[in-house]
Amino acid sequence: MSSIRLTDYEPIVGRQTLEELYLLAEGLRGRRIKMVNSTAVGGGVAEILNRLIPLLNDLGISTQWTVIKGGEDFFEVTKTIHNALHGEQISFPSRMKEIFLEVSRENLKYIDLDQDVMVIHDPQPIVYVEAREKTQAKWVWRCHIDISHPDEEVWDFLRGFVEKYDVALFSSPRFSKRLPIPQFLFFPSIDPLSDKNKELEPEFIEQLLERFAISQDKPMITQISRFDRLKDPVGVIKAYRMAKRYVDCQLVLAGGGASDDPEGEAVLNEVRTEADGDSDIHILLLPPTSSLEINALQRASTIILQKSIREGFGLTVSEGMWKKKPVIGSAVGGIPAQIIPNLTGVLVHSVEGTAYQIRYLLSHPEMSKKLGDYGHEYVKERFLITRNLKRYLLLFYVLSHPGERIIHF
Amino acid sequence: MNPFYFYTSSTLVELTGEKANTLEELLTLLKECTGSAIFYHVFQSYRERHFAIEKYHSDFAQWISASLDEEPLAERLGALDVRDFTSIRELREAILRIIESHLREHPQCRDRKGKTPFFFCQSVSIIMPTKYIAQDLRDFYQIFGSIGIRSIHYHLVEARLRLGIHTNDFSHWFRTSLNKEKLAKRLEDIDIYLHTLEEIREIILQDVQEEIRT
Repeated sequence: MSSIRLTDYEPIVGRQTLEELYLLAEGLRGRRIKMVNSTAVGGGVAEILNRLIPLLNDLGISTQWTVIKGGEDFFEVTKTIHNALHGEQISFPSRMKEIFLEVSRENLKYIDLDQDVMVIHDPQPIVYVEAREKTQAKWVWRCHIDISHPDEEVWDFLRGFVEKYDVALFSSPRFSKRLPIPQFLFFPSIDPLSDKNKELEPEFIEQLLERFAISQDKPMITQISRFDRLKDPVGVIKAYRMAKRYVDCQLVLAGGGASDDPEGEAVLNEVRTEADGDSDIHILLLPPTSSLEINALQRASTIILQKSIREGFGLTVSEGMWKKKPVIGSAVGGIPAQIIPNLTGVLVHSVEGTAYQIRYLLSHPEMSKKLGDYGHEYVKERFLITRNLKRYLLLFYVLSHPGERIIHF
Repeated sequence: MNPFYFYTSSTLVELTGEKANTLEELLTLLKECTGSAIFYHVFQSYRERHFAIEKYHSDFAQWISASLDEEPLAERLGALDVRDFTSIRELREAILRIIESHLREHPQCRDRKGKTPFFFCQSVSIIMPTKYIAQDLRDFYQIFGSIGIRSIHYHLVEARLRLGIHTNDFSHWFRTSLNKEKLAKRLEDIDIYLHTLEEIREIILQDVQEEIRT
């Protein structure tokens, strides 16, 4: 786990922000928190927990992290549940439910429940709440995924567990449900000190562009995402083509996830066919360890795109905004929570709209600069890990004062 | 003389799970929602974007403009001056009156679906004393220059829920403890919607400095 200290963030967020965190943490010192999720490495949740947990401990709040253990069959079930919550119609036979319940109950035998707060991330360990009678702890379900249009059968099954929690946390108002328990808004966050977001030396960026044979003489439009139809890479190329009739530019499509994924391979082929040998289109297949490369590509870009058809939260938008880039994003998933139209970015609904906005922003650098500057401020206020940390501290107070709207000390 | 104790307030946004797709639905939810939800959508949420001033400060006006394209209604709601009200109840009634009157004039927009829904939120506030205490105006000036922005928001904006919507903690202290009526009034007259909190900090610092000089 990272050895980062809270004071490392002072040059970025300022003394006042840290003072607020220390003040809030004072009354929580000694609390025992346990976070549970399904993986220690890989994926956005693990990435956030890797930083968040040391920072909570740094503030004197004793926070542990446990990962649910299961075999292949368990994770096949949880993958099915994940897809169903994203809206895929699936079959959910009783055997699947049994595997899901059995593995969780087995895990529960070995977990130390002597805590003040149990924070359960996503559906995989959701069943843990069955043990709530055995402990004084408050139970929190942190849902990181979009459950606005779930498969009803799967949601009905999970709802029985969700309703046993004290509170639920969602990444966007769009993802919330009518529930009998309080629900709070917890945006995901980016870490300004991570490889993906930290400042880079200009030489490093230049070398990287050279390595990928990307010209430094033309405006660069970039979309960072895996090669997945839901990210609409073909639509991105179409939009670039429409814009290029008016303003010369180049396109970078960079992401991973194709090598072991048959669908990813097919999408990559579609993208290559659509690119049709255009030397200004750079299709970069990056390994999962490419945080520094992604950071450099974003920093070298003139405009960042996130033209998804469906999206979870879409943190690449915040990553682009943090680097003071104008971001054009589709009005789907969590993207509208990050982009206030024409203030912190631009929202679009079509290939044509994307093309028009590329043309507009390339012709109006002063507007691009304004969007980039405001975007950076907005991320600083809402989507940095320090803000996430603050939300957790506030939550711990709220859990001790259920039903109160104003908690006065 | 009573000292001024600087507090800070932080809010956790609660999702009510309720959403409106049309003006009709917005109207229904506006009647049923908590006062905290009205306060959040009119006073608090836009302060998250404290680095810039947008066309409309109220989330309701913002949504009606951006999602329903009902600009005349958005303008009328956006023009509501909070200093005309002494309670959230009155503010809620004024919002309802404006929307109802618009719907009487334009009944066709009653059920027209917006591009995106309006999600009702409300807030839970955690209020804590800071270590900063001002004994007099000079102390106040010193502290106010570097106090966290959440403190300014608490004493200037959230105070309206406690003291009545027309005043704020700073003015209250200037008036009752320092007997400085003119300074209190000057702060009450600041249009909190037209300035970012950092701009407001500068305005107040100037006013206080002037008062110290005289």
